[in-house]
Amino acid sequence: MNTDSSVVETEGLTKRFDGKVVVDSVDLRIPRGSAFGYLGPNGAGKTTLIRMLLGLTEPTSGSMSLLGRPLPRERAAALARVGAIVDEPRFHGHMTGRQNLLMLAAAREPAAHGRIDGALARVGLSGRADDAVSQYSMGMRQRLGIASCLLADPELLILDEPMNGLDPAGMLEFRELIRSFVDEGRTVVLSSHLLDEIERTCDAAAIVDRGRVVMQGSITELAGGQARSLRLVTSDPTRSSVIASVDPLVEQVTHDSGDVLVALRPEASAERAAATISRSVIEAGVDLYELEIEHASLEQRFLEITSRLGVAA
Amino acid sequence: MSTTAVIERTVPTTRGWELPGFRLAQAELLKLRTRRGLVLTSLALTVGSVIVAYAILLVLHLTDPTGHGPAGGSQHFWNGMYLLTALGTMAAVLIGATAGAGDLSAGVFRSLVSTGRSRRSLFLARIPGGLALLLPMAVLAYGVGAALAVGLAGSLPQPATVYLVESGLWFLLYMTAMFLLALGVSSFLGSRATTIGILAGVQLLVTPLVQGLHHPGVGAESILGIALWQLAPKELQNGAPNGDIHMSLAAIVTVLVAWMAVAVGAGLYRTIRRDA
Repeated sequence: MNTDSSVVETEGLTKRFDGKVVVDSVDLRIPRGSAFGYLGPNGAGKTTLIRMLLGLTEPTSGSMSLLGRPLPRERAAALARVGAIVDEPRFHGHMTGRQNLLMLAAAREPAAHGRIDGALARVGLSGRADDAVSQYSMGMRQRLGIASCLLADPELLILDEPMNGLDPAGMLEFRELIRSFVDEGRTVVLSSHLLDEIERTCDAAAIVDRGRVVMQGSITELAGGQARSLRLVTSDPTRSSVIASVDPLVEQVTHDSGDVLVALRPEASAERAAATISRSVIEAGVDLYELEIEHASLEQRFLEITSRLGVAA
Repeated sequence: MSTTAVIERTVPTTRGWELPGFRLAQAELLKLRTRRGLVLTSLALTVGSVIVAYAILLVLHLTDPTGHGPAGGSQHFWNGMYLLTALGTMAAVLIGATAGAGDLSAGVFRSLVSTGRSRRSLFLARIPGGLALLLPMAVLAYGVGAALAVGLAGSLPQPATVYLVESGLWFLLYMTAMFLLALGVSSFLGSRATTIGILAGVQLLVTPLVQGLHHPGVGAESILGIALWQLAPKELQNGAPNGDIHMSLAAIVTVLVAWMAVAVGAGLYRTIRRDA
């Protein structure tokens, strides 16, 4: 197995269609052994980037490598250990799930045939493996798509919008499956416009907008690092607001229908502010019912970034 | 969804020897033979058409022996071959067009390309895969036709063994050429239906029309079907409506190779270059 720290590296990767820039000079580094989200709104160029990595379409300019192997020169060797679903998993509907895997295994190394039963069991399709794929639900097709990825015994799985069409239970199962792949040492790249799914499933992510990667890092870093605010529910919101406002860690205090929202200074520790403010409120004789440290979500950050880009444009 | 089963991790192995592309060709055959409609239609066009034709002749002979001679014999063998060539061509076109555009229209081509397998090998595997379905049908249909022509000849002259062997080989060549033409065109166009429409029009309308003309004009020799009929055994050609066309062997081979090279080359080029 390749032990380089990055499984995907791109530099200045660009794709133009009819003069329109779809992927704009993307520099990307995806760390090995993680679940990595490639997050962006519809039309941001996520699928096009994946298609270039898989050799489905040629880049206009830039360089890229998979599993430490430069593309397109060592494409066959690199993709031998990559499993991928692009757009949605597509199969021959007239063939059974097992026959579709047989067909795809034929394009891989001979050992891939021996992985078919294990892959079907892994995704819970053993009982329906001999049914025609035309009778499969969307969720079952997604599972079969994952099974087809496993035929490669992949070091890297690239899944493009894999949660599309799944019900909440299916999404939960899918999330667990992805985490189990990471636990085995595989790297999973998850392209999605679903912020919540990226935040719940991935360790790190890149945010892409209009073809450009505008930010990448761990989920915590992307969400804005440390917590920026506290929320208090007390017996006297007005007095609580006054008490909190004199704390040197606090930047601004507002209260609305019983909730006191305390915005912290950029350098403040949320835990330290929570301790001092709660002590001050209680010592002032105000009952403290709830105190919550509010972390910025990836969604907030994503909307901030993409909104700002929208304004700039 | 179970997460208990664990995939065994292995490294790509080069142990053992296998014919290059053999598993891909097997997979192509699997894709085609599991299409029930395609298989039944192709069987009907080849084996079915021969059986129906001789069955009609037999019924006519049995109900009116004086008006209708025995169902077999050389003349009916020729009739059967002409019918089998026309309808068998459609089977070859159906199978070739499906082999050429099936992965693309199902959206599976991108999954195959994503495995890292070269596009050239994906394309080339369609040839043995498709022929593995078509040629057994062609052999069976021809065998049935030849057996019935001999077996039901009665008092009529039977086709000679050499004539039967030559006709059989020529028929397989004809089917292979039509299959390759359809495969190349559909791989190039990416559409099964359009390919079938175009080639059915050429084979069932244009070629017979030009063959039927006494003065077909310049360029008629370049039509694939006409060049292929020029290769048929003399006994078959004598009955065929070939107009005034007479081609040298070199001209026939040139036309045949040119058509195959252009069709297969265009299909291969497009398979390699197209966005998957």
